[in-house]
Amino acid sequence: MSAVIATSKLSKWYGNVLGLSDVTISIEPGITGLLGPNGAGKSTFFNLLTGQLKPSIGSLTIFGEPVRNNSRAFRRIGLCPEQDAFYEELSGWEFLTNLLRLQGYGPTEIAARAEKALGIVELLADKGRIVRSYSHGMRQRLKFAQAIAHDPQVLILDEPLNGLDPLGKRKLIRLIKDFGREGRTVLVSSHVLPEIEALTADIILLHHGKILAVGGIQNIRDLIDTHPHIIAVRSSAPRALAAHFVGEEYVLNVHFENSRDSVLFETTNRDRFFERLTRYAAEPAAAVEEVTSPDDNLQAVFDYLVGT
Amino acid sequence: MGIELKDIRFSYGKVQALDGIDIRLEGGAVGLLGPNGAGKSTLLKIMLGFLRPDQGEGRVLDYDIRTEQTLIRRRVGYMPENDCFIPGMDAVTFTAYFGELSGMPRQEAMKRAHDVLFYVGLGESRYRQLETYSAGMKQRLKLAQAIVHDPKLLFLDEPTNNLDPQGRKEILELILEISSKKDIQVLISSHILPDIEFICSYVVILNKGRVAAKGELANLREASFRLFELKVKGEPARFLERIRVLGCKVEETEDMILKVYMPPQLERKAIFQTAVEERIQVRQFLKSRTSLEDVFAKAVGVD
Amino acid sequence: MPIAERGYIHWDGELLERRRPWLPITRQGIRLAFKRKYFKFSFFVSLVPAFGFLVGIYAAEKIQDFKLKIEGVSTILQVNPGFFRAYFAGDFLLFMMLMLMVLSGAGLIADELRHNALQLYFARPLTKKDYFMGKAAILVFFLSLVTVVPGLVFIICKLIFSGSFRFLADYPWIGLSVIGFSALVTAFFSFYTLMISSVSKNRRYTAILLFAIYIFSDVLFGIFYASFRNPYFALLSIKANLQQVGAAFFNVKAPYAVSWIYSLAVLLTLCAVSAFILHKRVKGVEVIK
Repeated sequence: MSAVIATSKLSKWYGNVLGLSDVTISIEPGITGLLGPNGAGKSTFFNLLTGQLKPSIGSLTIFGEPVRNNSRAFRRIGLCPEQDAFYEELSGWEFLTNLLRLQGYGPTEIAARAEKALGIVELLADKGRIVRSYSHGMRQRLKFAQAIAHDPQVLILDEPLNGLDPLGKRKLIRLIKDFGREGRTVLVSSHVLPEIEALTADIILLHHGKILAVGGIQNIRDLIDTHPHIIAVRSSAPRALAAHFVGEEYVLNVHFENSRDSVLFETTNRDRFFERLTRYAAEPAAAVEEVTSPDDNLQAVFDYLVGT
Repeated sequence: MGIELKDIRFSYGKVQALDGIDIRLEGGAVGLLGPNGAGKSTLLKIMLGFLRPDQGEGRVLDYDIRTEQTLIRRRVGYMPENDCFIPGMDAVTFTAYFGELSGMPRQEAMKRAHDVLFYVGLGESRYRQLETYSAGMKQRLKLAQAIVHDPKLLFLDEPTNNLDPQGRKEILELILEISSKKDIQVLISSHILPDIEFICSYVVILNKGRVAAKGELANLREASFRLFELKVKGEPARFLERIRVLGCKVEETEDMILKVYMPPQLERKAIFQTAVEERIQVRQFLKSRTSLEDVFAKAVGVD
Repeated sequence: MPIAERGYIHWDGELLERRRPWLPITRQGIRLAFKRKYFKFSFFVSLVPAFGFLVGIYAAEKIQDFKLKIEGVSTILQVNPGFFRAYFAGDFLLFMMLMLMVLSGAGLIADELRHNALQLYFARPLTKKDYFMGKAAILVFFLSLVTVVPGLVFIICKLIFSGSFRFLADYPWIGLSVIGFSALVTAFFSFYTLMISSVSKNRRYTAILLFAIYIFSDVLFGIFYASFRNPYFALLSIKANLQQVGAAFFNVKAPYAVSWIYSLAVLLTLCAVSAFILHKRVKGVEVIK
């Protein structure tokens, strides 16, 4: 699969303040999560992607073409920004149709697209009301509608779930996943890591303007060897369980969590560990009730890589 | 102690915001959830002593919500959702100021302000002007002013708003620590369900002015006794076939999780034995629980 | 207890029930005002007339000693109610009072509206009345320092320098006049400033508004008076109204041919309107959205 978004040594400074430094990545169709601490360079990256900023060094192409001053490219990109920047006096419908007009569609097509987009985000009932009367959740959905109305191939979403109630989030997550399945390229940025995990397994982690990690969350976790994997095993006979592993050299640490009858193992070799654990659990005398990996998630990856 | 509300009703003109709320809360951390417009803010205003209910009665921290509203506000800490500060002050002055306004003597307020600022992690920057504070620092400051007077009821509105992943984790840990002291009632309103799951042991879900669901999180998220989530490594085909033969129903989801329903007479051990025989490593074996999201969806009556 | 407990610690103190729960607001407001750039300077400048007049009182007593028999000087430096009126209702002092209001008061409520701080106040056991009292007290503090305090100091110094109580015998009501007029001016400026401060979230805008309305009202009076020569137009100008009432309080001839009762009525109406607007503006602040 060829890359949709490709950057090469992309860097940007504001005077002497660093934005991005030496970013070389290629993003393929599907959903990719973009995360990082505040000031890591996410907004800079988005602004470069949408052509609002010019790179200081390096290049950025979408579908093989640079974005800056390229109106053709804008047609294929949809942006759902973090901030609210509405004309408060317009109605939802007017706002959307005006934006579509900027894209160059004719009146019938504008109406059709607006209807479809508002229908998808379930704002058809409120399309006549002015934006000032919209709740935060409705504004968020309107932003999303304007990002998808012109059927873009590339969707850039900055904190899209912000302010939505749990059901709203669920709907929007389903929607975004549908987009990803249709072969579009979606780049989602969020600070709420569980929400990124709900959307995708592929991430880009930025820190201090540089790329810290790229790829599948599992993959990245496996590669962090400074932090061995933690595996929690619940058993009614924790000591016996622990004894079975203490002699193994790939078990670096054994920790008893007595409140929960759990034993936490730290290991660098999951293969051998699980091999032994499965065999042990099959033995007649053993009493293994639950097996989990508590730090096999995005928060752990973030903490271990960015860490304080 | 705690909060006790009986049959609370309130309407803004023709709009019935609250339509018969009955709640009993006794310490610990409680999550307050609900779709927008469900009546959460109205309920909070009544609990914190800003509004008088049209009907119904209640006690908050053992004070009557109709007649002793000022006394309630003395012992309540509120961490608002949006940004708030006063320009021209530094963190210590700000925190001590609001401590004083809560009724603390001046010197005590100052002493406690320092303590509290260290606790929330602003110790090093407590003499800096608030205008220079980052979003994460302002969030901690909000928490500091909410706890400076040692409230018995702490209300936090979207406490992780605008924080980056590190900041979120740190604030959540602070709140967890505070709420682990059983003599303070912590009420959290948030749309981020993982946060609620992390901190709260009890949730109240509102919808259309009524309590749609309430209870201990562990109870609401029913562990269905025989449903398990498995992750395996190896060639699964024969393994799945064999456990189906044993009576299990298996479903493969898109995140490579196997949802296995085990028949009552089957023991876990049997699964492990089959796995060993089919050269499968079992990497996760977890009792399946309905997620809080599903509990929410069910309570609010959506698919 | 060898190692101190870590983590969240409770406070073992007692909460007070203050008689004046708004005092911390006043204290902070005064402190913040002094931090403002030109405030200290303006404050001292506004005390200059007070010093000037104080020197005048001294000189008036000792004029015989210096044998300054310049024509007309003795009349100017006569310390009588007119003297007081000249201080209190002088253009310069009124303007300086306005200046102080702008520097210390323009942002009093505006800043807090802008930065959403009001919800923190009202989550405390404070009523809206307490909040306004606290804010008003800041303004009252500064205004008193340039009105009633110098006024009383003048009286006392006059008595000391003249070495007799004759002054008080001549004008027994002078103390009450000083206090009364100071109260009126202070009350008026406080209401006016607080009201305008609550009207916008932008401190610069409210500062401009504070000046603009005051000056504009006077300009308006000037224009109409020049065209129609009707003294009733004096009621349009805030400054003129204050001066009218000032003259009345000190039993001196009023500058404009309009009854001072009307002026007083205008000022009191403005105060009432301000109170109403204040109430409306802050009432609209929802503590929990």
